[in-house]
This record gives sequence, structure tokens and C-alpha cells, in this order.
Amino acid sequence: MVTGRKNALLWIHYLVCFIVAAAALFPIVWMAIAGFKSKAEVLVTPFRFFPKEWITSNYAMILKDPVFSRSMLITFVGAVIFMFLSIIIASLSAFAFARLEFPFKNTLFVYAIITMFIPGTALLIPIFIVVTKMHLLNTMAGLIIPGIASAGHMFFVRQFYLNIPSQLEEAALIDGSTRFGTYRHIFLPLSYPPFVIIGISSFLGYWNSYIWPVLIITEPKLFQVTQFIGNFRSERSSEEALLMAGGTLTVIPVILVFLFFQKHLVQGIKLSGIK
Amino acid sequence: MRISTKWNTWLTAYLMILPLIGLLTVFAVIPFLYAWYVSFSDWSFYDPWKFVGLKNYRQVLLDPKFTKSVIVGLKFSLYVVPASLILAFLFGHSMRHLRGKSADFVKTSIYIPTIMSGVIASIIFLFIYEYQGGFLNYAVGLLGGDKIAWLSNTKTVLIAIAVPAIWLGFGLTALIMLAGLLDIPESYYEAAELEGAGSFTKMFKITLPLMKNVILFLLVLGFNGSIQELVLPMVMTQGGPLEESQTPSLYIFNHFRDDILMGNTIASAILLFIVCGSVAAVLFRLVNSEKAAD
Repeated sequence: MVTGRKNALLWIHYLVCFIVAAAALFPIVWMAIAGFKSKAEVLVTPFRFFPKEWITSNYAMILKDPVFSRSMLITFVGAVIFMFLSIIIASLSAFAFARLEFPFKNTLFVYAIITMFIPGTALLIPIFIVVTKMHLLNTMAGLIIPGIASAGHMFFVRQFYLNIPSQLEEAALIDGSTRFGTYRHIFLPLSYPPFVIIGISSFLGYWNSYIWPVLIITEPKLFQVTQFIGNFRSERSSEEALLMAGGTLTVIPVILVFLFFQKHLVQGIKLSGIK
Repeated sequence: MRISTKWNTWLTAYLMILPLIGLLTVFAVIPFLYAWYVSFSDWSFYDPWKFVGLKNYRQVLLDPKFTKSVIVGLKFSLYVVPASLILAFLFGHSMRHLRGKSADFVKTSIYIPTIMSGVIASIIFLFIYEYQGGFLNYAVGLLGGDKIAWLSNTKTVLIAIAVPAIWLGFGLTALIMLAGLLDIPESYYEAAELEGAGSFTKMFKITLPLMKNVILFLLVLGFNGSIQELVLPMVMTQGGPLEESQTPSLYIFNHFRDDILMGNTIASAILLFIVCGSVAAVLFRLVNSEKAAD
């Protein structure tokens, strides 16, 4: 009898989890399917989940829109550059803070960490002013550069470097390697796990950002995907199915990136030592 | 020889941290200090700087729209944070019992909303809340209720925006919660069962006390995120109706668009920063005192 009750309880646990999973996926799946509906059918009463007739013309049409395809391409290129620069900057500084001794090391470390506690809202407009003064409005550089340095990412990689045993490094130094040489030949090849995590987090951060592009980009040829979608919804609000198709397409790259690296991501939550 | 190695190390170190320190200085520290400086002045892009003392702060504090936005922000956090934590806790509690492929599937599914952008979430939920033909009113209709204009009703608008916020943040909250729950040794529960403890006793004597730090951490994280929410109300309602969904960040953003004098806008950003900072500090205090008690 006890096992019977335990079994029933286990079924309830499974049921709860699958309901939550379904609720999490429902909006996205609905959007993807709405992209296959005719214009009139997206908001038809009574509500219907699946289309009467599956049509692919929305997806074809939005892909043919030159501003959309350009924004997908340019955001993707920007996100990849952003990702690599973030990784390089975080990794270089993480190594110095983890493995080298130099004057004012602690002061500089604290200086960097303090920036993590400045809330984004307080910085948004002052950074906008700085970027304006640097003449970076309507440039890729203006989209990329302000965000690539992250104390959080540096801290994360540093934790990883602190845990690498020092014997290899000492042996290399005795053999005449320079400090930078030990970084290049010992630490860098081992860095894949933390790089995947900060890489994905920067890629997603760039791809999903909306407020920043809206502030600094006004030229359609530099529109970011989120900006395109936001504008589309206010300017062509009657074309719901087309909007859903466009939305779905912008989500596909992030889902692919996520599924491809998800094992490392879950590990990352453990690595980060939150608990 | 030795001295030159030492100098070399120093040089290497400084060169390696230079990009990080330099960029943080230009894009975080200087803007932050600059914000304080501007907040004490009448300054626009076109006029020279003029010191005005605390005038901007006084104006912001006397602006009923600002006070209202702070209340909206706090209300919004009050909807989002406890609901996320309770949901994530209950979910994690069930999730602990799942094994193998189904556990992987569920974990992946709940994390996917977390990687979406706020704009996409806003647009999907706009359609879900649509008066005619939206899913929610259809569901309400099935249960026998009347249609509601979710986003133009002052009573429902903030809750309607809180739901996508919970949806977006749930994955991360739940996985951190789950990691915490999995850290509790199974033997504690077994021992309690031998002593005849029921589910409630186990929950209140084992699970909750051991999860306190994780929960407080998530509380701070959640509060900081939700009080600064900007994209959802900006895309879904533009702050309406009657500024009932104008969060502090949206207030600042709108102010920035309408007012060429930067001082006011930036003073309100700094005030928001002080509000956030003090609430976070109080919560952190709680976390630390808890750790000391361990």
C-alpha cells in the first residue's frame, strides 16, 4: 500500500513537471504555428490552435523582405563579433587577476567588480551621451563596444583559472616560457567550459537587446532583429501572421545555439557556485 | 635578471587587464560619475553646464508621475518575485523526483523562454491578451466568464505584464532552485521518515531552512530585475492606461525622450538607483545574518 501511494505521488510529480514544461513552451509553439496561418486566422474567434490550412507564404514573404534578412544577418555578425571580443577581454584579464602578481592588483580588481553593482537603468542615458560624443551613433561599433567588457564574465573565468593546478605552469616557466606563453599554451586550451558559458551569455545578450539599438540606431540598414520586430508591430500591425513568422525566425538561431550547448549551460549554473 | 622578469610580469599583467579596465572606465565608471555631475545641473546637448544644486532632485520627487512609477515598480515586483519563487519552488520540489530523459526534456523546455528577448515575449503575449480572438479570453469564455480587455483595464494591466515577466525569468529561477534542492542530502529525509515525520514536517523543518540562502539570493536577483523592467511595458502598453503600467525605467525613458534638459532624467535614474540599492542592501543583510547563524 505504501508503494502504491508513493507511485501515485511520483505520477503527480511527473504530471506537474510536464504541465509546467507545456506552459513554458506553449507561447513559442503558438507563435511558430500562427506563422503558418492566413492573415485572418491568427486572431479568429473562436480561438483555434492549428490553422485550417497550413500556408508557408508568410515565412517566404518575410524572408524576402530585404530589411528583415539584412537585420538577421547584421545582428548575427554583430553578435558573433561581440561574443569573441567579450571572451578575449574576460579571459585576458581573468588570467592576470588569477595568476599574476602586480602592484595595485586588489584595488584594480575591486574597481572592476564594483561596476557590477551599478544598475543598468542608471547607466543607460549617461552611456548614450558618451557614445554620442564619440560619434558612434548609427554604427556597429556603437552597438558592440559599450557592452563587451564585463566584470561578471571576468570573475567567472577567473574562478575557473584559480582552480587550475600550478605545476604545469611552473614547469613551463622553468623551461623559459614567458608569463603570456603559459596563458597562451596552457590556460587557453583548457578554457573551453567557461568560454562556452560566457560566449552564450554574450551572444544572447546581444541578439536579444532592444533598448540600446532603439536608442542609437536610426538607419534602417543597421536595424537589429528585435528593433525590426518592434517596428513591424507598430507600423504594420494588421499583418499578424507575417509578424508571427518573423518572430519565429528570429527565435530559431537562439534556440539552436542553446540546444547545441545546453549541457554546458546547466554545468555553468553549477560552476558559477551560486549553490 | 630577476628584476627584469618582475618588470616583465608587471607589464604583461597591465597589458592583459588594460582592455577590461579601460572599457569599464569609459562605459561604466565615467558615465556613472558623469550622471551625478549632470544631475546637479541644467544641461542639455545644446547648452553649457549650469549648477543648480538639488533642484532636479526636488522636481523629480515632487513629480507625482515619478512617485507613481516607483509604486508601480514595487507593485510589479510584488507580483513577479513571490509568484516566480513559489512556482519555482513547487516545480523544483516535483522536479527532484524526475529521472532520465523526461528530466532532461523538462529542464530544456522550461529554460527556453529564458533565452527569448523581451520584445518577442511582449508580442506573443499581446496576441494572447487580444480582446477578440486572443487565447486568454477564449479560455475565460470556456469557464463561463466575460471577455476582459486585459491591457487597457487599470486593474489587470500590471498583472498582465507580470505574467510574461514570470515566464521569461522562470527557467533560471527554477534551475537555481532545483540545484539548491538537489544539494540537500537524501539521508536527511530518510532519517526524518524513520522518526515518523510527515511531508509538512519535512518541508518546514528540513527543506525550507536549508533553502533559505538560495531563496534570499533569488529574491535579490528577482527584485533587481523586476524593479528595472523596461521592455515589456514599453512594447505592450507604453505605460498606459493612465500610467498604471509605467515602471520607473519607463518613466526615465519617456522623460529622456520628452525633456531636453538631461538633469531631471538623470536625477530620477539616480533616485531609482538609490531605491534599488537600499532594498538590495537590506535583503543582502538578511542573507549575511543568515550565514552567520549557520
